Amino acid sequence: MHERISQDPFTLEIVKDTLLSIGDEMFYTLARTSMSPIIYEVLDFACGLTDNKGQLLTQGNGVAGFIGTLSYMVKDVLYRYFGEGDINPGDIFIINDPYGGGGTHLSDVGLVMPIFHDHELIGFSANKAHWTEVGGKDIGSFTNDSTDIYQEGLQFPCIKIVDGGKENKALVEMIKSNVRFPELSIGDMRAQIAALKIGEKRFNELYDKYSKETVSATIELLLDQGEKMARNSILNLPNGVYTATNFIDGDGLGNGPFPIQVKVTITDDQFICDFRGSHPQVPGPVNGSYTTLVTDVRTVFLAITNPSQDVNDGVFRPLEVIVDKGSIFSAERPAPVSNYWESGSSGGDLVWQALAPILPTQLTAGHFLSVCSVTLAGKHHDTDDDFLIVEPSVGGWGAGSGQDGARGQFCIGDGETYNIPVEVAEARYGVMVDSYRLRCDGKGAGEFIGGSGVIRSYRALTDAQMATVTYGRHLYAPWGVNGGEEGSPNEFSIIKNDGEMDGPYGMYARYPLNEGDIIELRTGTGGGYGSPFKRDASKVQHDVKNGYFSILDAEEKFGVLLNPKTLELVGETKERLQVREAGEL
Amino acid sequence: MRVATDIGGTFTDLVYVDEKGNVQVEKSSTTPPNFEKGVLEVIRKSGINASEIEEFIHGSTVVINAITERKGVKTALITTKGFRDVLEIARGNRPDLFNVRYEKPTPFVERYLRKEVNERLNAKGEVLAPLNTDELLTIIDELKKEQVEAIAIVYLHSYLNPDHERRTKEFIESQWPEVFVSASYEVTREWREYERTSSTVLNAYVKPIASTYINKLNDELKQLAPSRNYIMQSNGGTTTFEHAKELPLYMLESGPVAGVYGSAVLGKEIGEHNIIAFDIGGTTAKCSLIEEGEMKVSTDYYIEKDSKRAGYPVKVPVVDIVEIGNGGGSIAWIDEVGSLKVGPQSAGSQPGPIAYGQGGTEPTTTDANLLTGRLSPKNFDYPVNLNVIEKVIKEKIGNPYSLSAVEAALGIIRIANANMLTALKLISIRKGHDPRRFAMVAFGGGGSMHAAALAKELGVNKVIIPFASPVFSAWGMLMTDLRQDSVVTYKSILSELDFEEISQEWTSIENRLLATFESDGVEEPILFLRFVDIRYVGQEHTVKVSVPEDEWNEQIVEEVKERFHQLHEKNYTFRLEDAQCEIVGLHVTALGQVKKPELANVEKQGTLTDAIKEIRPVYFEQIGWIETPIYDRELLPTEQVINGPLIVEEKAAVTIIEKGQSLHADVYGNLIIDTGVQTNA
Repeated sequence: MHERISQDPFTLEIVKDTLLSIGDEMFYTLARTSMSPIIYEVLDFACGLTDNKGQLLTQGNGVAGFIGTLSYMVKDVLYRYFGEGDINPGDIFIINDPYGGGGTHLSDVGLVMPIFHDHELIGFSANKAHWTEVGGKDIGSFTNDSTDIYQEGLQFPCIKIVDGGKENKALVEMIKSNVRFPELSIGDMRAQIAALKIGEKRFNELYDKYSKETVSATIELLLDQGEKMARNSILNLPNGVYTATNFIDGDGLGNGPFPIQVKVTITDDQFICDFRGSHPQVPGPVNGSYTTLVTDVRTVFLAITNPSQDVNDGVFRPLEVIVDKGSIFSAERPAPVSNYWESGSSGGDLVWQALAPILPTQLTAGHFLSVCSVTLAGKHHDTDDDFLIVEPSVGGWGAGSGQDGARGQFCIGDGETYNIPVEVAEARYGVMVDSYRLRCDGKGAGEFIGGSGVIRSYRALTDAQMATVTYGRHLYAPWGVNGGEEGSPNEFSIIKNDGEMDGPYGMYARYPLNEGDIIELRTGTGGGYGSPFKRDASKVQHDVKNGYFSILDAEEKFGVLLNPKTLELVGETKERLQVREAGEL
Repeated sequence: MRVATDIGGTFTDLVYVDEKGNVQVEKSSTTPPNFEKGVLEVIRKSGINASEIEEFIHGSTVVINAITERKGVKTALITTKGFRDVLEIARGNRPDLFNVRYEKPTPFVERYLRKEVNERLNAKGEVLAPLNTDELLTIIDELKKEQVEAIAIVYLHSYLNPDHERRTKEFIESQWPEVFVSASYEVTREWREYERTSSTVLNAYVKPIASTYINKLNDELKQLAPSRNYIMQSNGGTTTFEHAKELPLYMLESGPVAGVYGSAVLGKEIGEHNIIAFDIGGTTAKCSLIEEGEMKVSTDYYIEKDSKRAGYPVKVPVVDIVEIGNGGGSIAWIDEVGSLKVGPQSAGSQPGPIAYGQGGTEPTTTDANLLTGRLSPKNFDYPVNLNVIEKVIKEKIGNPYSLSAVEAALGIIRIANANMLTALKLISIRKGHDPRRFAMVAFGGGGSMHAAALAKELGVNKVIIPFASPVFSAWGMLMTDLRQDSVVTYKSILSELDFEEISQEWTSIENRLLATFESDGVEEPILFLRFVDIRYVGQEHTVKVSVPEDEWNEQIVEEVKERFHQLHEKNYTFRLEDAQCEIVGLHVTALGQVKKPELANVEKQGTLTDAIKEIRPVYFEQIGWIETPIYDRELLPTEQVINGPLIVEEKAAVTIIEKGQSLHADVYGNLIIDTGVQTNA
């Protein structure tokens, strides 16, 4: 009787759903217990479970940018310790090595906990979170002008922070002494540990309630279903070889732009992304590791195959990512990698760009792409306490077939990321926010229009503040698709208290601001989709009314003539009529 | 007489208590768009003497429907200069991480109707730039031309100092009396401009609709009875018609919340203070946790938010309810990789499950319950064709797995239960509660059917199926007090608290609530409850801690701190003894305590044998088919225990008890189930 029930398809289904929900539960535990805004507001972390071989079973995500990292971390633990027989109940490993072991940059610190049931290793609970501080040469740790890894903070090369349930006090003290906000870093570590323990507890409960055989069968089913779903999707993609080339702006040290390229080969059951020929690793910190590239390619792969499915390692079995050794996408020690997302997301974007024209219902035109990170440090005007803002920026997304681009949304590498409310920022930090508004710059025209970028202006309320801004895609605008116009680049300017202007810039390390100086951050508008002449005249009229485009734009870009006073439709240009007629034939 | 009416999607329910204390119920069709007609009809149908109605309590879906169906009015927004796009930028998040075609929630006010004025406060509420009323004149002209019907006003930091918003509202109303105006300080006094803007805009968007509706209902009622009229709100209490017209957003979730409140009241009567309230309807299941007799009320509510959609924040007090798309009408289907799923699609009431014979072609939970003998075809209004149900379930669910129709039907029930169990765990175990300390109160059309099995899985020993369980929400309304909740952002490190200042703040909030009660003509005795939202410095999320009504001093601070540490450890597994604690919000609940009907004793004599309607085969997990006695709830003798497997039938609901479980009726007519879970473990 028990056997029949334990192996029936519905039991497997119920066990599977329980398993999947563990990743979410771990995720919420960490979000709710962390002490750092970068974790609880930006949700810059991920939590998950793997099987005992390190295959990802379930992952709770706040951002897309961690989708490749957890299983590599676990595999590194297995590689280093399993043979030695040195993985024991109550151990927790800490790892942030960017060049291996699922690393991104040093700020993203991973923890891995083995899970035992009846003395048998059954899986791992793992998470990775962005710590506000890991030391290094600049406050906030990640920087845009480091020249090697040693300037970027503490390195944790897969070592035990908890050994058989006992915290390694010496290591904790070392961390406290080497980071600028020890209470935040240690607080986050404890929150991560709490989440790991939830994962361990729930995984064990599952084994207790159902038999080992049932859970193993479920894990196999889960991975196979993931693979099956991915392969089904690939079968429906047009086979062929697709290429794209683009540039990464620069490395923050004045070098660049750096050419990058991809060749995507789609067959009946494979999806191969070959990045060979892209630029070698560079002196500044925009290099990424191979894990980073895989993560970003996986994100676009999911967008194409099935964005709503549950993610596990089975899903990615058909995907292959090829790269030269020591390239900007596969940097080697001791290359600086602090702003790794600039290369990683550019890699994903290349695949997106190569396939957007042929997959108009899955993909969109290019978006502002860069995390657009801003760090601002200084003294609070009332309390004289130190403050530190670390935040990504929202920007414009590209249009797709049948859909205008999103206005003011975090980039692909982010996700369930929240901006910092103006009222919270003004209470906590030594700044005033002069405006937070859409950047309606008339770019991204198309049959469907690109989403507007966003302008956020900070005014310093004390002297001697320091802004470090890393806006990629500053030289090359988001691309349009199938006749849609390109968007606008990311940039920022300074308006000094005396009225003097400086900028625009893309990247800048430690720009000094004094009281009354304004830093105006402008993210890009996304690319358009299809010829602007094909956009409905009534829509164009509405765009003008809403201020997304000017009357002049309506005429010049869309060929729609409006009465400047009433905005009534008065006619269409010859060019527009010709294109529309040609389209109808 | 006290009468409650609750408008649902299909039916308008009426519940009242007669002179003997007996609960009487009536149902009539819901009548969109003139919902008040259905209310009058159900009053007429019930046969009560309308002139005897002293108090009339009303719950309605008018507001939530106007929002979800986008049937509110053309609304404009006025903001601080530089911030009109806050409504559209929102928080910038993208919950559907891997979908590059993700669409943000469309703002309820388009950009050309979002206007800016010069005015500015700083983060302490001090005026940096005065309000420019000349600009308001121009804006009013433009909005008149656009034929706007409602205006929302949201200025930065107005939660600290509402003066500019108040003056703007007064100015607009003086210039343009016909337009409906909502200012953010009236809706919420919490920081975070996007959340406040979203809430205020939604309030404005539905204000004319709610006003018209409440006025019409009021006029009709006036003809019938000299009753005092109340509206059910989402915080589990009622308010006056006048107040509801100003803040219609506060009645968003009135129906579901009333059932939770009813559970708390019933629990107090029968000595159960820790309760999981569980409600299964046609398309969704809802659950909520009551601890020490108190519902959890917070302002962290969203509409249209799920794992794939960001939704719209609504910062008004709402009882914490978890809702999932699983009800009697939920459709069972197999996804592309061969997994059986139930819901969230529902067959609704049209065409409904296959059982209804009205054109439903997809197997639902109700159909599965019929095929396994849990539901009887005799209790349906329409003739049920079991052969059709069997054929469809066999073809669509059984065949793909090489299973019989009845095995497939059991699979549907198990998956539906697993979905509901996830929701139940979410409010209990995952929040650090031990289910063994709780009793479950199950109601709604499907609550009693699934409760015993789910409670056992969850580890709950006792389940209560209240009398009138299918219309229990309306009964809950009968038992409500007048209630206002005010949550105010107030920031202070606990150890640096200014006792005088916080005492003033409490008094000022309470005076404000009192004034509202007074201006609404409320005469009932008022009870205040105080809570603080508190956290460790640096954290974002807060824990709500109940605090005494006394003047603040060192001792209270110590008590609050210890209580916070305990709750934090319970919810989040750890406490930080050395960290600073920070208050960020003050929450006051004001209750206007109303005299309520008492539960009637409905003790029944008789024998169990006489209560048996029939014996029929029912299919149970781990047993298979077994001849099962079916009892008539009306005839069950009081306090006589029966062992499962068994089924109790009543009008519009059934209760299913598995082997190893038992049941009896108590003196009030509630069914009390022992689920077989050991609680002393």
